Amino acid sequence: MKGKVVSNTKLNDKYYLMEIECEEFVNKAKPGHFMMVKAQQYDYLYDPLLRRPFGVCDIERGRFKILYVLIGKGTNLLSQIKINSTIEFSEPLGNTFKYNGGKKVAMVGGGVGIAPLLFLARYLKNQGTEIDLYYGGKTEDDILMIDEFKKYCSHIIVTTENGKVGQKGIVTEPLQKNILQYDKIYACGPKKMLEATTKIAVENKIPIEVSLDERMACGMGACLGCLIYLKNDNGEIEQKRCCVEGPVFDGSKIVWSNQ
Amino acid sequence: MSKSPLSINLCGIEFKNPIITASGTFGYGIEYSRFIDINKLGGISVKGISLKETSGNKMPRIMETNAGMLNAIGLQNVGVEKFIKEKLPILKKYDTKIIVNFWGKSVEEYVEVAKILDNENVDMLEMNISCPNIKEGGIAFGTDPKMTYTVVYETKKAIKNKPLIVKLSPNVTDIKIFGKMAQEAGADAISAINTLLGMAINIETKKPYISNITGGLSGPAIKPVAIRMVYELFKTVDIPIIGIGGIMNYKDVIEFYLAGAKAVQIGTANFVNPEISLKIIDDLEKYMADKNIENITDFTGKVEI
Ligand SMILES: Cc1cc2nc3c(=O)[nH]c(=O)nc-3n(C[C@H](O)[C@H](O)[C@H](O)COP(=O)(O)OP(=O)(O)OC[C@H]3O[C@@H](n4cnc5c(N)ncnc54)[C@H](O)[C@@H]3O)c2cc1C
Ligand SMILES: Cc1cc2nc3c(=O)[nH]c(=O)nc-3n(C[C@H](O)[C@H](O)[C@H](O)COP(=O)(O)O)c2cc1C
Ligand code: FES
Repeated sequence: MKGKVVSNTKLNDKYYLMEIECEEFVNKAKPGHFMMVKAQQYDYLYDPLLRRPFGVCDIERGRFKILYVLIGKGTNLLSQIKINSTIEFSEPLGNTFKYNGGKKVAMVGGGVGIAPLLFLARYLKNQGTEIDLYYGGKTEDDILMIDEFKKYCSHIIVTTENGKVGQKGIVTEPLQKNILQYDKIYACGPKKMLEATTKIAVENKIPIEVSLDERMACGMGACLGCLIYLKNDNGEIEQKRCCVEGPVFDGSKIVWSNQ
Repeated sequence: MSKSPLSINLCGIEFKNPIITASGTFGYGIEYSRFIDINKLGGISVKGISLKETSGNKMPRIMETNAGMLNAIGLQNVGVEKFIKEKLPILKKYDTKIIVNFWGKSVEEYVEVAKILDNENVDMLEMNISCPNIKEGGIAFGTDPKMTYTVVYETKKAIKNKPLIVKLSPNVTDIKIFGKMAQEAGADAISAINTLLGMAINIETKKPYISNITGGLSGPAIKPVAIRMVYELFKTVDIPIIGIGGIMNYKDVIEFYLAGAKAVQIGTANFVNPEISLKIIDDLEKYMADKNIENITDFTGKVEI
């Protein structure tokens, strides 16, 4: 698919927000989906070679958003893309967050892991679900789009490791205190945070879905480069492709030591 | 209607075009059916099949490098039985040639898998000999001329129905020797090249990016090596050569033909753009028409030295 870059805004030294116009994509996208993005716009350039996976951060009126953090070649090139230029990407890929009619849920986001939660928040709020957001970052730079989340969330609990914004510490601390209020947890962020969040949810018998990152070559289930290890009901370990059977998994089934 | 300039005959099998998707980059074909029209492809070489289901290497398995990527998937596959029962019936619904890439850990395993596939509804078999021989201390079949000869000879002897392609490993000092061995042992065609052994290290963690430490390099970065090897093979063997390695567009295809290829396989490019093989076919059609070329194989080996 192709779309027009409507905006590509620098939020701070690390983060950018890109808005792309593409009706076809928007019509297919559901919360949890990701897409593979071609980071540069030339067919005759072969470096960087592979497309980059990004979560659908939000959709609105024929446009979708990608919140991205600068890492290496691909994301730095993305940040250079000019407004009104055309960008190529796959259709929405992967599975989606599941909604089982919970009345009150917690979303737990760490850093750029907040990205897919905004789209999910919009969706859940429409379903009449009450949402609390637990949002953790290393520094104040990691805390973004609070005004957007305010539209959908009843409470927003922010933590930073340096304590410059919100509570000083990590996001699982406040979550631990309030956990029993929730019917379900949705989480996305660094693996350590997801593992700790899952532990709290499982101890309290609350269902949890997490969205995972893996390096991806194809993003369509062909290369087998993006495996996630899950434990099935018989205690056997199964290999799943993050790009097809994921990126959203039942946290309680993930074998964290293998990730 | 006259014959299409892109149609080729490979070991008695009619391909509507010479564009085949490379093993390991197109799954079992089915994965891509959601995104592209598989019927337009000349053929599909499926992910390497072995006797038993294989779970492959630990993660991480892939890393992008300059104009290429490293992979150490570890030949993960569903095993020959499940392939025939679950994957092949779906794949057979498409109007494209099915090449089954296969491998083993011993000569016996190669023979066993080939015998089973020989009686199935597939078009060609492609032996991946870049696998370690467990009985001979783990040296890859494809890097020892004697082992190459033995495994190809024994496999060819065991099958009656399907043409046998031998896919050569580029991780050797002289590819010509291996081409000759494969031909003498009875190979019907050669495909070259498989991935080049490589490595990448994360300077922050001081660890290799891939858990297997080394991985196979593929993509545009390896194309000059592949072109050179196809050229050397063309001068050495009489059987047809399928060129593989870093093909991204129709010009790369023509380059492989000039070096000596009769067909080509598209690998890593499928990851970059799932529609790329179809685009290459369209572009080649235009090119043939513009240049008024009767058949693409007119280019085979026509490099002017
Ligand atoms: C399903 C999914 C959703 C994602 N959503 C977002 C998002 O919404 N916002 C965002 O900023 N990032 C997201 N990421 C991570 C993002 O894909 C990487 O940050 C990005 O690929 C880095 O590319 P680069 O060229 O800048 O970095 P490099 O380090 O130069 O990339 C080298 C290779 O490693 C891969 N890679 C590096 N880091 C990661 C990573 N964390 N995850 C997966 N692959 C990686 C790259 O794709 C590339 O193939 C997501 C990843 C996945 C798998
Ligand atoms: C992820 C991946 C998996 C592969 N798996 C196989 C395989 O199972 N059997 C095989 O013979 N070749 C395998 N290959 C090699 C390709 O078929 C091809 O020979 C190689 O990638 C070079 O071509 P390319 O540069 O166009 O990718 C694999 C390549 C990649 C990138
Ligand atoms: S990225 Fe290729 S199978 Fe998931």
